[in-house]
Amino acid sequence: MTYSPEELPMLDHRLDHDAVQGMVLHALETLNDERGADDELVVGPRTRLFGADAELDSLALVSVIVDVEEAVSAASGRTISLTDDRAMSQETSPYTDVESLTAYVVELLSEPA
Amino acid sequence: MAIDDRVLRGEFVNLRPLRVADAELTFRWRSADRARFLNAGARTVEEQADWIAARPVAEHNFIIELADARPVGMVSLTDIDRVDRRGEPGRFLIGDEVAVHGVPAAVEAMKLLYRLAFDDLDLVRVCGTVAAENKLMLKWQKFLGMREEGRLRDHLLLDGRFQDAVLLGLLVEDYRTTTLPRMNALIAAARSR
Repeated sequence: MTYSPEELPMLDHRLDHDAVQGMVLHALETLNDERGADDELVVGPRTRLFGADAELDSLALVSVIVDVEEAVSAASGRTISLTDDRAMSQETSPYTDVESLTAYVVELLSEPA
Repeated sequence: MAIDDRVLRGEFVNLRPLRVADAELTFRWRSADRARFLNAGARTVEEQADWIAARPVAEHNFIIELADARPVGMVSLTDIDRVDRRGEPGRFLIGDEVAVHGVPAAVEAMKLLYRLAFDDLDLVRVCGTVAAENKLMLKWQKFLGMREEGRLRDHLLLDGRFQDAVLLGLLVEDYRTTTLPRMNALIAAARSR
């Protein structure tokens, strides 16, 4: 399930896994809207993002990062950064696939603001 | 070595000077749908070759190559003003999108170009316009530190229709504090496999 910014679910300012995954998938669908028909991604929970066998180039990855950061901020009131030193030092890159990015955002949101 | 002849070397991509021999390849890239937001270019390969041959020495026009020398795109630094110390990055196009999946080609190409602008040429500002409907590029440039400085109404005639151009600018201090760390983060992400 994907969520547009207007219909983002709020859980006492804490977003659960499905809600965050919906944001990531919506960011990928937004990306598809901006690409030509020949360049459209197959969007799903297993879509690989960046790195080996990935679907995105750096330009597309930035689009996803910006949209997810904005969606999380709109829904939770929390500002998160997906490109800081902490994100880069993760054992598994948050950008590997939809699931790893979702898990990383959920981890950030599980911590005190 | 003259700066115009120099290859700018990165980890994943290199920038080498655009040559007349690149006319057929760059014409093909510019004719593709993904180039729809660039200004109208040459209508034939011959015109493209003439255009390349006519580039003034003051411009820095590059082909983006992967480490294995495969050409994947192009980028330029033009309108360099050595008095006011500003320039315009542009003509930025990834022509072979499949070849750069998972590779930080776009971001490293921009990093190399900005290093040329801010470190080698000692510019204090780069600026340029992006078509208002080119949302992907606007998002990209703003994420990398550019700020919106204005909007030129109906400034561009693209695909038979006028649209606004968004004026974006980046100062050297924002380049060092915002742009460079973010570029390095994206490049680092490609290393973690």
